[in-house]
Amino acid sequence: MLGFMDYVQNAFYEASRWDRDNSYGTLTATSRNILDFSTPEGLRFHVSSLSSPNFATSYTLGSIGLVDGSLSYLYSSLPLPRLAAKSSAIDLHHLVPGYRQLQDLRQPDEPWWWEIWHQGKRIDRREALLYGRLFLPRSTLEALYLRRLSPKTQLKVSCVSDSRLPNGGTILAHLQHDAAKHNTEYIYSTDSALFGVRGLYNFGPDPAPTRPLFEASPDSTISTANEAAAFTTAQTPSQPHGRFSAGGEIYYGLLNKSGGISTGLRFATLPSHTGFPYTMTLTLNPLMGNLSSTYSVLASPLLALSSRFDFNVYSYESELQVGTELWRRKEKPLIEDLNWARLKMGQKVLNDPSKDLDNPNGMAGCFKARVDQRGGLGLLWEGRVKELLYSCGATIDLRGGENMFRGFGVEVQYSS
Amino acid sequence: MAFNFNWSPLTADASFYTRAQELLTTALNKSPKPPIIVDDILVNELNLGSVPPDLEILEIGDLAEDRFRGIFKMCYTGDAYLTLKTRVQANPLNTYLSTKPSFTSPQPLAASSGLTIPLQITLSEIKLSAFIILVFSRQKGLTLVFRNDPLESLKVSSTFDAIPFVRDYLQKEIEGQLRTLLMDEVPVIIHRLSLRLWVPEYREREDEELARNLQDSTTAEKPMDPLASPPQDPVDSCGNILDASQIASLSLDSGPEMHALFSQKNLLRLSALTDSHRTLSLFTPGIRDVVFRAWAGPTERGEMHGSSGRATPMTPVMARSQSYTGNASTTYVFSEAGDTGHHPSRPGLSSFGSAASGLGLGSNKHGKPHGGRKRKHRVVNLRKKATDGDDVESVSGESTTASGTMSSAPSESGARPVTPERCDGELVTPPRTPENTAAQKEPGDGTPLRFRNFTPRQPQRAEVSENTPRQPQYKVPSPHSLTQSGSRTAKRPSLRPPDSLQTTRYPVEKGPKPEASSSSTATLQQLSPSPIDESSSGGMVPQPWLTKMAGEIARKVQDQKAANSGFWDRNDEAQEEPPPAYRS
Repeated sequence: MLGFMDYVQNAFYEASRWDRDNSYGTLTATSRNILDFSTPEGLRFHVSSLSSPNFATSYTLGSIGLVDGSLSYLYSSLPLPRLAAKSSAIDLHHLVPGYRQLQDLRQPDEPWWWEIWHQGKRIDRREALLYGRLFLPRSTLEALYLRRLSPKTQLKVSCVSDSRLPNGGTILAHLQHDAAKHNTEYIYSTDSALFGVRGLYNFGPDPAPTRPLFEASPDSTISTANEAAAFTTAQTPSQPHGRFSAGGEIYYGLLNKSGGISTGLRFATLPSHTGFPYTMTLTLNPLMGNLSSTYSVLASPLLALSSRFDFNVYSYESELQVGTELWRRKEKPLIEDLNWARLKMGQKVLNDPSKDLDNPNGMAGCFKARVDQRGGLGLLWEGRVKELLYSCGATIDLRGGENMFRGFGVEVQYSS
Repeated sequence: MAFNFNWSPLTADASFYTRAQELLTTALNKSPKPPIIVDDILVNELNLGSVPPDLEILEIGDLAEDRFRGIFKMCYTGDAYLTLKTRVQANPLNTYLSTKPSFTSPQPLAASSGLTIPLQITLSEIKLSAFIILVFSRQKGLTLVFRNDPLESLKVSSTFDAIPFVRDYLQKEIEGQLRTLLMDEVPVIIHRLSLRLWVPEYREREDEELARNLQDSTTAEKPMDPLASPPQDPVDSCGNILDASQIASLSLDSGPEMHALFSQKNLLRLSALTDSHRTLSLFTPGIRDVVFRAWAGPTERGEMHGSSGRATPMTPVMARSQSYTGNASTTYVFSEAGDTGHHPSRPGLSSFGSAASGLGLGSNKHGKPHGGRKRKHRVVNLRKKATDGDDVESVSGESTTASGTMSSAPSESGARPVTPERCDGELVTPPRTPENTAAQKEPGDGTPLRFRNFTPRQPQRAEVSENTPRQPQYKVPSPHSLTQSGSRTAKRPSLRPPDSLQTTRYPVEKGPKPEASSSSTATLQQLSPSPIDESSSGGMVPQPWLTKMAGEIARKVQDQKAANSGFWDRNDEAQEEPPPAYRS
């Protein structure tokens, strides 16, 4: 389950119309969400609030052996007034990352769209997000600075300060350039002076030019963006049903003189695809001879399946992982009926996200499970009880013998 | 000083390698591994090779039957090798990221995917050169500390030798790991093993000590463990330690005053009794109205000496010889050239078995005659198993001799009043020294020496007694020893004093052990008679002359010491005068 701060941060991406899926780093997001979910450890409580549209706080108290906790604050220059902050109102899909349905590409805004003139002066600002988190007993500080430099670029600087780290901490600068059709990222980490470049290219026709949303105020939120997307999809009838993307990344650490490289392919269906959505990826690490292929299917709105096969051509090691994500719907017969009726009447209730927004309480919980060939089993159940969001999970090693339970934990979240 | 180092017996012991492999495996896996190593490290092969390390004795700080402290210089350029098996992560990005916080991780998609490779590493051409501080005490086992980084160079050959980058990396990592292993883990392993070797006695002893401590809680000074703080600071050692050593020596050697109190007959019997403990002989002379407790602490030995000093000089000799026979299995024989000439003979430790390390130095007693430059032979037991039992016995036996039976405690107390009489004691004792020298000289050749080398105890006594009158200035800090300390000036730089304190207490509460021990000692008794004869013959040497000589030497040493107080200084060694350590 995502923390509240991640939730707010994602909302910021959406509000600033940044496509997180259009990046090489998220090429395999779907299979990672289903297969690599992390299970909580120990007992942990989160209390968070979005005290103002621009400001969020979160406190965490946990105990794994000893009590620890963290304080975090977030400031967003972009107000998020429509963000559902109450834990009873948050859509679980936003907190439980699962199968990620790729949306149609959206042509980035023209820079001049962002200009706001007032009495002959430009008064528009670049949206920014500041986030800090202090882990208490360990005295570790995390900080994040996120800024939309332009409609196509975003800068993300994250730092960790910890006395136990070499040099007392690290800084990672991440510059992303998203031109819809292609996306490039530049990474620099002060740790061993690591440089990285990532690129992703989307094959297929150029995205249709978007209509400037003049009427949309700068605080436009997810729904408006989605509406815009829906509008564009509606405008172009002959659009592809899937998207093929290819990308690569290369890293080189100046100080330790070591690097890494990988390339990847992805084919994913788009919302206009009539069958069930699916995503296939293939990544290759030519240096290490690692080959990884995934196949994920959204078999129904409530069920997603994913499998991954890793093979190393040098060591002949292979690994197979299978995972599933199962949603449970709350009983809300009335609303469902209405939706059905609305559909019958030809009204547009097409896209699921908007539907979810309409009834954020539609889902009662999500169950995730994964198993690999070595007997590792991961279980996670996340859901909502009254006002509380909970997440409990366990890691089990089926071949572990006596100590099969490798980890078990419960997380409880409350936000307002 | 030189000694012969017998390396092959280590390799002959079949179980040694398997055990060493196990220990190494656990030790290697205990410390946090570098992230590049993704699997347990298995010690696949271990061979100590045929070339022994060069050991050089730099300093012997303390030498007694149940304790030893010394500094050695070790150089090793042998053909030992070690083969390790493990699995390593070949992707540098993976290992790099695994150590970094995820918050600032660039989160590569697949560039960090792992490639684990089975790796076989052979460590060979190991070059070590280190100063080793070795501290042994029967109660606390063996402690070995490297004073500097012992690893000089090392050749790491692995599966990746073809790739220079990986090779260099491995070389670096492994050297670092090995350094920590040598500096931190090896001493622990050795200590634990040494404790394990002495388990039966050790445990009992510990229990007794616990009980004793509880009862003796009133005593101001708690016995300190000489091993716990091996003297790493030479500076400290000079002043305080000397005093302490005095105490120790006093308590241990408390003998001379006592002889007057016993008849020769009884003394003979007592000696036979103690000998029987040392040996495996089942025969124990009956002494009426006496409860005999074996395994008493060093104090008891003092009693014995006292008795021997007067009536039967032979007893100590016997004791030693027997202990050595016990060591017959011991592998190392050290022969010391006469250079160290002036060491007052001190009934040093008979044997340490430091089986664990294979480095274990058992320093047996070195008897050094006063004036003579004689060869010293030390038998060191490197072997673990078979020998261990023997060693233990021998050691314990000696200690018992030193520390008298139950009677010892009373006797000591009695001794205090006696102290003024010491002059007599001195006079009596001196005759033995010549004997010892003679005895020691004979042993010049290899193995036969074992039995003989250690005779020198008595000379110490003589010295001690002589010295004492002249050097009253050393005062013994601890109340216990004070009574005796006044009389004995002999300084022993060692940390002993605490022990002595402990030992003094032993007699009081020690009960049950002795019998068991006595029964165990069987075979060696036969040997005892012959040494007795020798010693007795030695008695012929004119006492006054000896006393004089001893006094002279003692004074010289004193002056020397005053001049250069650094007790660990090698200057002492270089000069002919015995380093303070050797003066009992």
